[in-house]
Parts: sequence; C-alpha cells; structure tokens
Amino acid sequence: MLKRFRLEEPESAAEVSELLGRFGDSAKIYAGGTELLLAMKEGLVHYERLINVKKLKGLSEIAGENGTIKIGALCTHHQLETSPVLQQTLPSLVKLEQNVANVRVRQAGSIGGNLCFAEPHADPGTLLMALGATMVAEKSSGPREIAAADFFVDAYETSLKADELLTAIRVPAPGANSRSAYLKFGYLERPSVGVAMALTLDGPVVNEVKIAVGCAGPAPRRVAEAEALLNAKSKDEAVRLLPQAGAIAGRASEAISDLHGAQDYKEHIVGVLLKRAFNSIVS
Amino acid sequence: MQFEKQVEIIAPREKVWKFIWDIDRFIACVPGCKDAKTVEDGKRYSAVMVEKVGPFKVEFPTTIEVLERDELSHIKAQASGADNKIGSRMKIDLDVNLREQDNKTVVSFVAGVDILGKLAALGHGIIKRKADQVLDEFAQAVKTTLEGDK
Repeated sequence: MLKRFRLEEPESAAEVSELLGRFGDSAKIYAGGTELLLAMKEGLVHYERLINVKKLKGLSEIAGENGTIKIGALCTHHQLETSPVLQQTLPSLVKLEQNVANVRVRQAGSIGGNLCFAEPHADPGTLLMALGATMVAEKSSGPREIAAADFFVDAYETSLKADELLTAIRVPAPGANSRSAYLKFGYLERPSVGVAMALTLDGPVVNEVKIAVGCAGPAPRRVAEAEALLNAKSKDEAVRLLPQAGAIAGRASEAISDLHGAQDYKEHIVGVLLKRAFNSIVS
Repeated sequence: MQFEKQVEIIAPREKVWKFIWDIDRFIACVPGCKDAKTVEDGKRYSAVMVEKVGPFKVEFPTTIEVLERDELSHIKAQASGADNKIGSRMKIDLDVNLREQDNKTVVSFVAGVDILGKLAALGHGIIKRKADQVLDEFAQAVKTTLEGDK
C-alpha cells in the first residue's frame, strides 16, 4: 500500500532543484511514476515528498534544432514512438520505443524517468549511448551536459547530482549515410540483453562505429574496443571481425547471472545481436 | 549466495587475530556497518548494517554470534538481521581462516549470504554484485588498516 506523502508542485526547473537541495533524500522527483510508484507501493522505498514535475513547461517537446534533436525529458514513450521528427530522423529510437514494456507504461512513463531510474533492464539508455546522445541536467546555478556514456554509473545510479533535474536529451542528427539499430532479446517481462549499434556507411567502408550493450549487466556500457576493431573497415572485413567484436562486447556488458540468463549465455547473446544489428543496418 | 575471498596482510598472525576481536576497529572495516556493541565478550555482538543500491536502502539491526573459535586460526560466526520497514531479512554464515605465510598473514573467508523478503525484488544478480562489492571493500579495508598500523 502507498504510504502518505506530500506532493510538491514546483513551476520551474530551478524550483525543483531548490526543493531537491532542501529536502535531500526524503524527496524524489515524480514524473510518469511507472517505476517510482511501483517501488513505493511495494514498500521498497518511501519518500516524505514527491516533487511533481509533470506541470513544468517546455519539457515535453521533441524538436530538431541546429543539427541536434532535442527530446524533452517529460516526453512519454508514446510521444517518442509517434513523433514525426523522430520517425524521420531516428527510426531506430522509434522502433525501440514501440517495444518498451506495454502500452500502459508507454502512455504514462517518461523518457527522463526511464533514464533517471536507471533500471538495469531498461532499453533507451543503450541506444542513446550508441547515438552519442547527451543529457541536459539543470540546477539552480544553470544547466550542464552529460554524455550518455557517463550518465549511467551503476544499477539504479546515474551521475546526476542530488539537486539536478534531467530536462532534455540531445541527440546529434544522423547524417544521410548514418545507420543505427537496437536489438533486444529476453523471455521474461524485461529484456535479458540489449545491443545498440550506430555507424556511417562511406561506400564499402564503415566509419564512426558506435556500440553499446545493456540489460545484461548493472548498467549500459559503450564498447570502445569493439568499435575500434570495426571502425574504418570494409563491410566484408567487418563481417569477418564481428565474432571477435561480439566477444569483446559480451565481456564489456559485465553480464550478471540471474533469472534472465547465465553470464556466459548473455555474453553469447550479445554477440548474436551485434551480428544481427550489423547485418540489418549494412545490408 | 556463496562468496570466497582471500586477503594477504603484511602483519603477524597475532596482530591480525587481536584486530578481529577489537570490535570497534573491526566493524569500522565493514562498509555500512555502525553502532557496534559487545553483548557478551567473545561470543555475541550487535551492530546495524546499512546498505544502499541506488534509491533502495536497507537497515538491518544485526546480531553477530560467534559459533566456533580456534585461537589464532579459525572463527565461525553467524550474523542475522531484519529490516522491518522494508520487510527483508538477511543471514550471513561466515568462516574465517588465518594462516601464516612468510611475513604475511593470509586471511581467507567463506561467506554464505542469504537475503530474503521484498529486497529480493531487486534481483539476485544485483544483490549478489552488491554483496561481492561489500566483501571486497571489507577485505581491502582490513588490509589497509592493519598494514597502515605499523
């Protein structure tokens, strides 16, 4: 059962930051509530205050601006999966969002909440990493940008400071030859493994290869070593190197043995998904 | 969950043994452990263990019972506690062995950790990883404390 709490209704990001600073661990930001309220109802966490950010203005838009796509942190998964801007520029993110949880979660859950809760089995963080996204965090003194690769610290832990609010996600608009994909596999409600890949096709050569793995371990991870292996290689050569890149990515996933699968099984699936992701975007 | 750890400490075995029974200094090496008290010297102790995974915090008032004690070489103990706020229990069966090797003391320990109740909703993998981290930090802290204490 949900215990009693106070609801704060600030009107600006600065006000949210001030409340977070003032009430510390006894307050938590509340947006979609799809993760937070479940944990509270289960009695796993309790907060004296919830800071409702749903009424903050300007955090629910998706827009392209100066070569960047800006996604407001309060956008729901449903908004992302139906956004014309994203459908045109980031179809891989649209596809990912179409497959997040279920329709109820997609209607209520926000992208910002998903990223900030940092549930190890969440999808979006992994692809955002491969897309080279940055997170915009605001506090009373002003905003700062955090690279997606530096955002996820551990299971349920991000690099946001205690008084910071995630306000937007900025994704560089992909060029005409850029491709990306996110593939996941699982047999429980949440995925066991998620793999994201982005690259640029310059004729027969693959460039700017970015690889990220998630769900298997405590937090999504970029795999620079596997990226370097495939980067600036011809498609055929890259195909030959994929098993090696997959093994590197498997190890980098820091896979944990649990109900979603054993460590070696998850590492193997990382390799399989990496191969499929490459084939789907290169062929 | 079963964990096996080993730490080599550049210090004589007597010193390591004495340190283990100096409850305040010993407990200071256990991450998240506080308010250590001696209930019955050499047999029973109490402490509060506070652990955190992201926003999830648990506070286990813990009783530590020494079940076996072979001077300078072996300790068998059991720690158990419950967090009634969250509705979770934990039990740790600990086997500690000390042996001398050159100028070092090798402390090896086997810990059987059981976490029961709602906390288990976080998932076995996450809890196992956390427990592993705590034990590693503990082993490192014991080494640092004893070796720094010339």
